Amino acid sequence: MAGQIKVLLSKLGLDVHNRGVITVAKELRDAGMEVIYIGNSLPKEIIRTAIQEGVDVIGVSSLGGAHLTLGGELIEEAKKERLEESMAFVIGGVFSTSDAEKLQEIGFDGTFVPGATREEIVSSIRKIVFDKTGRRS
Amino acid sequence: MAEQNKTTKEILRAKLGGRRRTPLYNPAILEKMRQEFEQWKGSLVREEDRQNWHATPHTLLGSEIPREMLYTPLSSIDFDYMEDLGHSGQEPFTRGIHANMYRGKEFTMRQLTGFGGPEETNQRIKFMLAHGGTGVNVLFDLPTIQMYDSDDPLSKGQVGMSGVAIDSVEDMDLVFKDIPLDKITVSLVTHYPSNTAILFSMYLALAERRGIPWDNLRGSVQNDITLEEVVRSGPEYIPPADCFRIQCDNIEFIRQKIPLWNFVTFNGYNLREFGTSGITEMAVAVANAISTVEEMLRRGHDVDWIAERLAFFWSPASDFFEEVARLRAVRRLWYKIMKYRFEAKSQRSMWMRCHVQTSGVSLMREEPLNNIIRAAYQALAAVFGGVQSLHVDSYDEAYSVPTEEAALLSLRTQQIIQAETGITDVVDPLGGSFYVEALTNEIETRILDEVDEIEKVGGYVTAIDRGWIHKKIAEFFYNERSMVEKGHIKLVGYNIYQSPIGLPPIHVFEYPEGVEERQKARLARLREQRDNEKVNTALAALEDACKRGMNVVLYTLQCAKVGCSEGEMFKVFKKAFGLWKPPVFW
Repeated sequence: MAGQIKVLLSKLGLDVHNRGVITVAKELRDAGMEVIYIGNSLPKEIIRTAIQEGVDVIGVSSLGGAHLTLGGELIEEAKKERLEESMAFVIGGVFSTSDAEKLQEIGFDGTFVPGATREEIVSSIRKIVFDKTGRRS
Repeated sequence: MAEQNKTTKEILRAKLGGRRRTPLYNPAILEKMRQEFEQWKGSLVREEDRQNWHATPHTLLGSEIPREMLYTPLSSIDFDYMEDLGHSGQEPFTRGIHANMYRGKEFTMRQLTGFGGPEETNQRIKFMLAHGGTGVNVLFDLPTIQMYDSDDPLSKGQVGMSGVAIDSVEDMDLVFKDIPLDKITVSLVTHYPSNTAILFSMYLALAERRGIPWDNLRGSVQNDITLEEVVRSGPEYIPPADCFRIQCDNIEFIRQKIPLWNFVTFNGYNLREFGTSGITEMAVAVANAISTVEEMLRRGHDVDWIAERLAFFWSPASDFFEEVARLRAVRRLWYKIMKYRFEAKSQRSMWMRCHVQTSGVSLMREEPLNNIIRAAYQALAAVFGGVQSLHVDSYDEAYSVPTEEAALLSLRTQQIIQAETGITDVVDPLGGSFYVEALTNEIETRILDEVDEIEKVGGYVTAIDRGWIHKKIAEFFYNERSMVEKGHIKLVGYNIYQSPIGLPPIHVFEYPEGVEERQKARLARLREQRDNEKVNTALAALEDACKRGMNVVLYTLQCAKVGCSEGEMFKVFKKAFGLWKPPVFW
């Protein structure tokens, strides 16, 4: 459907917890976005799939502590492919407030911690996509 | 033979239906009470309360069972003390599995430890033991749980986070450095049947190395198909039937060779936390346990030989009385299943022994110190429910794994209940409460109804394979999310009584540095120094055993002894069994 925001969701690395990302997948879809969920993946694969699918947003989920290591690698891979201007990057999971700030510093456009509501996530993603690319869903 | 086609519920109804009951209450007095009750309702109870006599607590992971405003003897008119409760340590064990409960044996204070490399976790284990912890509980990092070596590309950036990295028997040795394996009880949180076969083999190889007879080892493993196939997100899975086979191989081997070890801890906790009610949590664990006992009987074993050491793992959550009642309910239900469905002879086989962990999803990020109170109430409910062993979550776990200070506070939560409240001096203190007994009865019925559903789908393994369980859970947690967002489920500081001022951030745990490099170096050294011919022989023998239906643990043990890494063993499982793709519902 033309104009739909397309989102790629993935579990970062070997993190076993997928209740959050499955919930978000459903919520984004219910909000009219096109969602692709690829389960557990590493940064290179996520970027490759994102390019293949031509997504607007890459969203990763990490509750296992690897948000800075693998999250950082994701942004690096994105920069190699020069995607950081055209795609939005968001991350959800369990990390400290200071780590959330670090994630923003290294290039994530949005961070979501436990307690983030459906409304927050959906509207944040819409806003981020609009701010970055001028597109509305 | 017709028995085999009957569900557990049908069998119990047939066998228990005709039992003679001796109601405690005098019917004539009850009748008088009923009149007085109606009078009271008419005169002292507000119209509004009469209209809304039942209220339903809305809590995270709750079962939404309606509660009466006041419970009286009229709530269970045919209450029969000996039939429904019995004394403690007596059939049907509603009041506890031992006559003296905590007077005889305190609940084990078994706090989880696990982060960084084996050296770091060794320190934290010693810290907890030095402060009065009575059991060890080791949690592994994600690569170890998912069975990838620390130097596998999939493990990059995740080694030693949220758990301890273990690649081989050498790491197992370091985790337990200076810890006498024959003097303490050790829970290894080997969630899956597959990683249980691998990691517990390393533990056994370690015991041998230290000259400790396996007879003297006490502790437990999880070894649960639910964790490997239902509540896990991972890159690779083996098929449910093969996973269940390994679960039973583990049980068989451990039961034969390590007599004091608990070889399975039916879940329980992780399933519920993933997103389901306290009722479904117990129904799934019971259905799993039933399938497991059936399989062990099919393998020719005696029911008591297996059942004496079965154990369960629950998640005490927020609805206080539901948590107390359901522990009592499942204890009575398990007794009935073992005695009447499986005809166990030993009393021990009928005991629902359990470890519990307070609910993780109930911990909020806002005002994290509130979580201390939440976990304390949950721990209290668990003690009222008569559990054998406890882990209390720490207040900072919506941020990271606990700091030392937070972990200590969790231990103190248990110790204060045990040493300061006087609760443990009396067995089953809430027994006889009109409310608690009515709720216990209601919950027992609901658990059995859900077990019946699972059996009608074709049994637990089929229910997994078909995605029946996955779907049920996905629906539950999506609905719960909306209940929270609409404010039906109230969470203090989050959607109710929100603080207008920002509170100071808490000190959050920082992972130690350099763990991944250290583990990789260790692995490289191991691969160089071990006898690689023996390694290859052992791995080949394991693959053969997998394919030929032999008990795999004999072979994983040999692999562990000669220095195979976990990843190497998992590769064999994948090769022998092939991969399975679980359903994802969203």
